[in-house]
Amino acid sequence: MLRKLLSTPTLTTINQRCIATTAVNLKVQSGRYRITPKKDKPLTYEMANPPHFIAHRKSWNSWNTSTIDGGLRPSETAIEDIFIRRFMIGTWHSLLGAEVIIKRQHNMVRVALIIRQAISPRKVYFLIGYCEELLSYWLQCPVKLEIQTIGDRKDVVFKYI
Amino acid sequence: MSLIRVSTTLNSLRQSSLRLSTVISRWKSTEAAESIEIPNRIHRSPTAILEALASTVGRDPTAPHYKYHDDPYMVPNSNMTKRTYAMAQESGRKAAKWIKENNRELFMHSEAEPPIAAFAPEMVFTEESEVSEQTLKDLIQQCEITDAVFVYNLMKTKGIEIDDALKQSLLELVCFYNNSEPISEEFIEERWFKQGAANRDRLSKSWKDGDLAEQLFNELPKTAQSYSALIRGMCKYYQVERAYALFHESIEKQIELDTKTFNSLLLVSSFIKESGEMRWEFCVDLLRQMKERQLRPDIGTLNAALKTISTIGHHKLCRTGAIKVLSEFKAIGIEPSLGSYCYVLNIFCREKGPTSHVLVDILNEIQGKEFQIQDIRDTSFFVTAMEICRNHLHDKNLAKKLNELLHTGKNYDLIGDSYKESVYYRHYFGLLCRTEELETFMETYNHLVPNIYIPEPGIMEEILKAVEVNGALELIPRLWTDMTVFEHVNRESLVLQVLKIMQENKPMLNLEKHQGLNEQFAKIADNIYHKIADQDPIKVQKLSFSGQMLGDIISLLVRGAENQKAIDVFKFAEDHQHSIPGTPNESVLLELVDACIEEKSPSVAISCLQYSVENNMNGLQLADKIKKGFTLNENHLAKVNHLVNEK
Repeated sequence: MLRKLLSTPTLTTINQRCIATTAVNLKVQSGRYRITPKKDKPLTYEMANPPHFIAHRKSWNSWNTSTIDGGLRPSETAIEDIFIRRFMIGTWHSLLGAEVIIKRQHNMVRVALIIRQAISPRKVYFLIGYCEELLSYWLQCPVKLEIQTIGDRKDVVFKYI
Repeated sequence: MSLIRVSTTLNSLRQSSLRLSTVISRWKSTEAAESIEIPNRIHRSPTAILEALASTVGRDPTAPHYKYHDDPYMVPNSNMTKRTYAMAQESGRKAAKWIKENNRELFMHSEAEPPIAAFAPEMVFTEESEVSEQTLKDLIQQCEITDAVFVYNLMKTKGIEIDDALKQSLLELVCFYNNSEPISEEFIEERWFKQGAANRDRLSKSWKDGDLAEQLFNELPKTAQSYSALIRGMCKYYQVERAYALFHESIEKQIELDTKTFNSLLLVSSFIKESGEMRWEFCVDLLRQMKERQLRPDIGTLNAALKTISTIGHHKLCRTGAIKVLSEFKAIGIEPSLGSYCYVLNIFCREKGPTSHVLVDILNEIQGKEFQIQDIRDTSFFVTAMEICRNHLHDKNLAKKLNELLHTGKNYDLIGDSYKESVYYRHYFGLLCRTEELETFMETYNHLVPNIYIPEPGIMEEILKAVEVNGALELIPRLWTDMTVFEHVNRESLVLQVLKIMQENKPMLNLEKHQGLNEQFAKIADNIYHKIADQDPIKVQKLSFSGQMLGDIISLLVRGAENQKAIDVFKFAEDHQHSIPGTPNESVLLELVDACIEEKSPSVAISCLQYSVENNMNGLQLADKIKKGFTLNENHLAKVNHLVNEK
């Protein structure tokens, strides 16, 4: 559609092209962190490696193999990702130690988290049950949480910049 | 397919290689004779592959159950945490469900195709809902008892006709659940942990008299089905008199009831008839009536008859009765289930009765067999049998055989619930601990503890006893660690026992495995001391010191060369002597004085002497020791003499 419009630049189409709704790519900046003057900004391993290291030094934060035959998951992967991430950040408030990893396998979604040991294991179990159940109502597929705990926030720090 | 490929490969081989020709020709001759037969398709369930895969792996005793998350922080260590964590997760699921039901409009989307009903909010019926016979039929199909009853009432007020078949199925549903909502099958943890408690208080009448079930029954034409449903419901919830009256009524009206209804009446015969003989007669009478009606008995009949017999007090009567029933049912080809064996055990192995080895025969009969649940009582077999192994027969080999049966095929599914499982292992451990050599017992212990079973304080006590008898002191530090993790250390009896064992049995330092034990014991003693001394004052069930306990701690600390700590503990005992019942032994004080001599602190030694004199002990020995061990100054010497002479 866009190409068609570009190829025939009539006056009316130029009028319609005034607003760009696509998000800016910011290829140079995104996924990279600026060095602080005191060099005390903590970075996790995932943050320490810029995007071009994906599949070399680090892996993807979101996986999707649900499109194979019989997987039957809806294709709105990015929106779903954002929903899951925000849901996790809100539910595990100030407990998350690193990025939420989302793995869609066939007809199910596995969400991996690293959390701090700031609440009792009983409460962790409550939240696990709650998240799994509510997300599976929302996404309408089985959802599993895979949790690892850390004693201290610093345990996940890879380096300071 | 592969056969064809093999034959073509062989053909090409034959062409290229002469050397192989003899071998090939033999192959070829068989090949010519064989024709490919495509086997008939075996129909398998959608989960057949998963089941086959699952059968290759068993329960891994080195890891916690897979319902717990595999992270050191979240692995449960005691029976209490096992229960709490599983229930907490389930309660989280319940919270999510509640949110879904209270915000229905947010969850009305349909992502899956075809839609999955389990993810959508449940239907809510109000006075204005459009209902039809189909709605009610569906609800009955899904066993939604509350909704079904609501819709039924709604249909009645709206004046919608309901046909008798539908009413009948509603009657059956209402009778089965006694018109109350059961625990949802979704919540497996709640069922796993609750069942033990639920079974215990179920034996009283809970049938709702004059409720919907009876109204429906009155509206329906009096058929065999309606009678059956109501009688079975009443029997299930122990409204026995009316069930029996209905039974008579149906006989008078010459209505043919079915086997299951007879079974349910047999099951409650102990409530209908008072004495043993009358019950037996009643039972025989019912069986005879079944015969007259040419009803074929089933496994339920066998179990119900055996249950009736097991409630009879008279030994001889019930033993002969049981044998008769078993042989007759065997003759008509009904194999007993595990539940039947459970009743047989109840009949033959009574607490005050003679010892019976019926369990040996049963195990010989069913060894290596795989069972499926046929009767609710099937889940009680393993726990009952293990109890008999421990308390009735004291036979460890039999117990091992039983344990083997439990781990055959899918038999572990019949363990029942968490309560029965823990009782099963309690008996197993209790028995092995008494009869097995400690070393072999510890192998079992290492295998099953803590992931499959965590010993209760009572079993821990038995283990400690066995350790003491065998002089296996090297196990004490390990057991103490376990006890700390299992939250047993707030049991006074256990703490006392551990201290007593450590104090009374000195490690033999010439043995290699006893090396370094004194130091470890001192650590444990110090640990116990601090655990009790630094208790939270708000705590309700507090542990308290006794003189004996403090004495044990002091002597262990002295032996472990922790003299300063020992002196501190003594000072504590001295300061609190009015609030602590009892005093340390004199021998302990002697050990302490030795320690003081080593530490060169005469003042403590003298206060030790003073303490002993104040508590009516003979201080002469202590005084001697002090005089010999120290070069005392005048003040001290005068004090010692004064204390001893005062006596």
